[in-house]
Order: sequence, then structure tokens, then C-alpha cells
Amino acid sequence: MYSRLLLIFALASGTALAQATSSPAEQESVQSLIDRIQQLDKRISELEDRQRKQDAVQTANLQTPTPGQESQDNATSAPALHSEHAASSTAIREAEMHYPSLQIRGFADVDFSATNQKGSVSGFNLGQFVLHLASPLSKKVGYFGELSFTARPAGYDVQVERTIIRYDYNDYFKISFGKYHTPLGYWNTAFHHGAWLQTTISRPQMVQFGGTFIPVHFVGLQAEGNLPSGGLGLGYSVGLGNGRSSILSRAADSGDINDNRAWVASVFARPTRFYGLQVGGSVYGDKLTPQPGNNFNELIMAADVVWTKERPEFLSEFANVHHRDLRTSQIFNSQAFYIQLAYRLPWLEDKWKPYYRFEYIHRPLNEPVWDVSGVSSVEDLVGSTVGVRYDITNYAAFKGEYRNQRTGVDEPRVNGAFFQTAFTF
Amino acid sequence: MTGNQKFASRALITGCLLLCLLQSAIAQNAGDVDVAVVVHPDTPVNNLTLAEVRKVFLGDRQYWSTDIPVVLLIRAPVARERNVVLKVIYQMSESQFKQYWIAKIFRAESATAPKVVYSNDMANELVTAIPGAIAFIDARDVRPGSKVVRVDGRLPKEPGYQLR
Repeated sequence: MYSRLLLIFALASGTALAQATSSPAEQESVQSLIDRIQQLDKRISELEDRQRKQDAVQTANLQTPTPGQESQDNATSAPALHSEHAASSTAIREAEMHYPSLQIRGFADVDFSATNQKGSVSGFNLGQFVLHLASPLSKKVGYFGELSFTARPAGYDVQVERTIIRYDYNDYFKISFGKYHTPLGYWNTAFHHGAWLQTTISRPQMVQFGGTFIPVHFVGLQAEGNLPSGGLGLGYSVGLGNGRSSILSRAADSGDINDNRAWVASVFARPTRFYGLQVGGSVYGDKLTPQPGNNFNELIMAADVVWTKERPEFLSEFANVHHRDLRTSQIFNSQAFYIQLAYRLPWLEDKWKPYYRFEYIHRPLNEPVWDVSGVSSVEDLVGSTVGVRYDITNYAAFKGEYRNQRTGVDEPRVNGAFFQTAFTF
Repeated sequence: MTGNQKFASRALITGCLLLCLLQSAIAQNAGDVDVAVVVHPDTPVNNLTLAEVRKVFLGDRQYWSTDIPVVLLIRAPVARERNVVLKVIYQMSESQFKQYWIAKIFRAESATAPKVVYSNDMANELVTAIPGAIAFIDARDVRPGSKVVRVDGRLPKEPGYQLR
């Protein structure tokens, strides 16, 4: 349209200029040309209008069973309106939540290790193959599950690591039932199975899967939520469940081993002024029956301070495990902590993240619970780990670690090199 | 070189410089466009602090009220609005953001990740249609009548507005 106006303007101005100098015959021919252009312009407009109307009628016939209801004038804008409406309603339909809406994510890792420990064999091993499941069942009810497949000499060990159904009343109260990672300390609920999620190759010894220092799993119910606390950002969780089974490293999935329920309570703060900081404390109580007639009260207190950003990442956690023999009233306290520091380097596309971890475990020599099976399940430990993580993509990483550890009293230090590729899919 | 030629070359250089200044001013202006926080019209919120916006987008606040869950909408990668959100709200890189939501969902702390929208038009459509929805939209593209939330008491284009 603008080009036509420009053309007419140019011709008209040309004509005006020419009029001053040209002859009457030339003026006449120019005028006829202008008339011709105007006629063509009118003709094009008519054809465009006709085409628009034809398109509108065709679309109305295809989409609407009663096309006669709409006037021709309305129909001229129908195609554009229809396609826009169809696109937006599709987008809205897709964006709306559908129930159930199962999401599955897999995690796996392949490892290599070599140490100078007597009797150890270097080589490759498959880490855990893990499937995480999450499915909202309604606006306020959701399901979460976690399955692990661990390579053993005689096959694969399949475990239900977590299975949780949760009802959200609001942000302040959410109640759930099932099998959890016990909300005790930081690591145990921040990093689940799936080595890709954590910076390092392995978990700290105090929260090791299959370890006994703290009860890693918990079967029962849990209430959690935020606490109205303004900028302090307080949150809580309280739980009641079965606690440890007679095999201390395992939860009592199939039923409690005594009539005493385990309980756990934790509170944390994420102050809004210090985005990335989390400070928490938790306490856990249970009655242990590792052997029939052999009962202990267990009270675990833990505290953690973490800075979850990656420049730097700082994780630290402490736990004291208190056991009281119910026959002799003897008391035993074991302590453990770790401090982990990592930093995402700002060069080379942010792919490199070096880290260091120091960890420590102390147990009394005569602590009976850790030795109840005849094999010591918790030993003194002083160890350092230094390594680097390289993120190959957003979903896969290489990690390399050097560890220097002393396990047990008066035992020699063990050095080891460990490599892992961990990924999610 | 004659006086006329000198004048012409100076005029040319001055013109080029002016053009460059004008171009950089335009570019700077385009980079400083504010990003509005838009919510569904029925959402019971008019003003949020930046920390509260962060809490919402981190998935730490999941309900506007007992019956209205928060539905997060975020532009697809490379969009300017997404970059502003990652830089100001999350303070994360793209990969950290992805890792954050994978971990969040599979820690059982949130049922879903933010929904991805591919244009400001789509964001406008969805934020109006889905109860509880919240989105970041280029302030110039916010549709008239949309509910724009004040951030720390300020609307886009007001002095001190932080989301830009």
C-alpha cells in the first residue's frame, strides 16, 4: 500500500513539475497514466477483498456446522481469529496439569578404583542404576518413588529406596506416608541415589548407603512445611516410623521389630538475606533391638550449615549418636562430621569444579551396638578427599578423586584413586 | 586537500560518530527493558519482595492460598526474560538451573518443574488462562488489563525496579 502511495506521489509530483514545462499533449498522456494506475489499484483491492471472503467461507464450512449464522463481514476475519484461538487453546491444554502425570528419570554411573589397601583389587565397577519416579495425582496429591539396582557378585540387588505419597494442605502443612531418606542432617535428604546429583564420587562415610552410623531410611509418616517466619525462612519436618530393623543398616520395611516407634524432628532456616545459606538441626529417637533381648535407646542429634551456591559450595554436618544399654544403663557416644568445599571455576564454560572434603568419625572402643553382628559396622575414620568434577554436558559428568584415609585405630593410611562418570537420562 | 574537501571529510567523520552513539544508545535502551512479573488475575497478591519472588520461583513457596497452587511459567532458553530470571532471581547458570529442578523434583520437594513458554504471547495467554500462574514478560509486551505484580513496591519502568 505504501509503495503504491509512494508511486502515486512520485508520479503526481513529477506531473506537477512537468506541468510547468511540458506541452498539453504530454500532460494528457500523464493524466491518463495516473488514471490507469488508480484503476489498477482499485482492481487489486477488489481482488484482495474477494480472496479474503472466499478463504473465510471455506474455513467456516470446514470448521462450523452452521456457517449461515455468521455474516460475511465477520467471516472476513475468521481465518486469523480461528488459527490464533486454536493455537492458544492447544497451548493452554498442554500447559494445564493432567493427572496422573508420571515422570521418570534414570541415573547411573560407571566407576574405576585403585587403592594400596592390602587385599584390594583395582578395576571397574558399575555403580547404582537408579530410577526416580514422580507423579502428581491431583492438584494436592503427589507420588514419588526411587528404585535402585546394585551390581552384586551373584546378580543385581533391587531395592525400593523411597516410596512416598504426599498430601499438600498448603505450604505450612504437607503430610506424607511411605519410605523416606531420614530427614537427619543435610546430605541424606539433599542427595539421593544417583551420583550425578552430588559433587563428589562418594557420600561421606557417616551417611553412606549401607552404613549404620545414622539410619539412612525411615518407614512411616512425615509432616513438613514452612514456618511463618518472614525473612528467616524457617521450615520443619516431623516424622514417626519404624526405625532400624535388626540389621542396623536397613529400615524395617516389613514391620517394626519392637513396639517402640522411631521419631524424627528437624528444623532449618534459609534466610532470605543470605540466599544460598541453610542452617539446620535435627533429632532422632528410637529403641534398637539388634538381637532378641538386647535393647538400646538411641538418640541422634545433628546440625548442619551449608552454602548451596557453587562459588563456593560449602557443606558441613555434625552428628552425635547416643546409645544407652537398657540392661546396664551404660552410655556410649559416637561423633562424626564432614566439611566439604567446592568451587565452580568461572573459566572454560563453567565446566570444572574442584573440591575437597575432610571427614571424621569417632566411636568408643567398647560401643556394643556397632559390633553386635560380630563385625564392626562403624570404625574410627580420618580422611581427606580431593578431586575435580568436569561436567561434560548439562546431564553428565566426569569425576576424579584422590583419597587418603585411616580407618580404625593404629591402622595404616590408605591411598586411593577413584574415577567416575555419572549421568542422568 | 581543498577547504571544501576538508569540511566534507570532517562532516563525514562527525556523522559516523553520531550514528555510532545513536546506535549504542538504542542498543543500551533495548538491553534495559524491564521484565514484568505477571500473575493470573485471581491470584491474591499485588506486591512481592524480590526475596518472595525468588522463594516462589525456587519452588519453596508452592501455594498462593490453600486452594491456589503456584504454576511457574518461564521462557525457553536464550530468551531475554529467561536470562533476567536466571541472573536476578535464581543467580544460576543454565545448567545449574536444570540441575536444580531435577534435584528438586526427585527430592520430592516439588511435583513439577516450571512450564516452558516459547513467546511472550504464549506467556500472556497462559498466565491469563491458568489459575495460580506467574510469568515474567517483557514489560512492553504485557497485554493491557494483565495483573502486574509490584516487586519491592515498584512496577516496571519505575526507578529502582530490579528485574531488567
